[in-house]
Amino acid sequence: MLPPAVMETLFSEVNYTASKRMMDATVLRHQAIASNLANLEVGRYKRVDLSPNFKAALRDAVRRSDHSGLDAMRPAIAEDASAVSRRPDGNTVNLASELLAMQDNALENAVHTQLVSGRLARLKSAIAGRA
Amino acid sequence: MNPTSSISGLIPGARLAGLALTAEQTRIEVIGQNIANARTTRTSAGGPYQRQQVRFLDAIRMSQSGSNPVAAPGWQVVKDPRPPVMVHQEGHPDADATGMVAYPAINIHEEMADLMIANRAYEANLSVIRNGRALAQQALSIGRR
Repeated sequence: MLPPAVMETLFSEVNYTASKRMMDATVLRHQAIASNLANLEVGRYKRVDLSPNFKAALRDAVRRSDHSGLDAMRPAIAEDASAVSRRPDGNTVNLASELLAMQDNALENAVHTQLVSGRLARLKSAIAGRA
Repeated sequence: MNPTSSISGLIPGARLAGLALTAEQTRIEVIGQNIANARTTRTSAGGPYQRQQVRFLDAIRMSQSGSNPVAAPGWQVVKDPRPPVMVHQEGHPDADATGMVAYPAINIHEEMADLMIANRAYEANLSVIRNGRALAQQALSIGRR
């Protein structure tokens, strides 16, 4: 049997953990976009998105290869302070840009799902000893 | 419990988008009713048909934790207070003593424009559900090959 340290390192690579966090983040972002589109007609509603702190912290942790920091990270949704309202009711949602963000987000989710999936597949072929 | 899981179930965003779909559908039905009754001069309540519209209310927070600002729209059907349009039409069964008939204040162009907007919002929320399902399916495919 492998000593526990080896098993641990197999699943604690920074890229692998970062991809897992990004998958969480993209699912959460999809919910933020769902909220924005659902409230398209609600006056005074302010659009929400992933909090910019999360992105900055993720980038920082990857740069420093801080695995435990990455593992503890939880994405969060916050009001988008940079959004400007172009409507008299003060709503900051724009239909076209939300739809674009949703497609963008779905693609990002696919990338990270494939990274995680590919990593597990490589591990499997290493165990089986053939490609 | 995780605040994000309680608002979505398995498909992310589906509950929210579902609520919005119901709201837009109500809106489309109300517009249909307005167009159908654009010339109705007598209703069971008396007087001409009164235009109705869907009013969206302030968003309702979906989670109690406060950290998650995801919100569902609320709505209600309200009567439009615009006064009826008076048309001189002597001999009309609903004409008053001076020969004036009260018609509902409904503008077909306004209704059609509203209908287009409601349709677009409906489609957008539908695509949220479609995309959410794709995310869930992708997650299911992890490790399968």
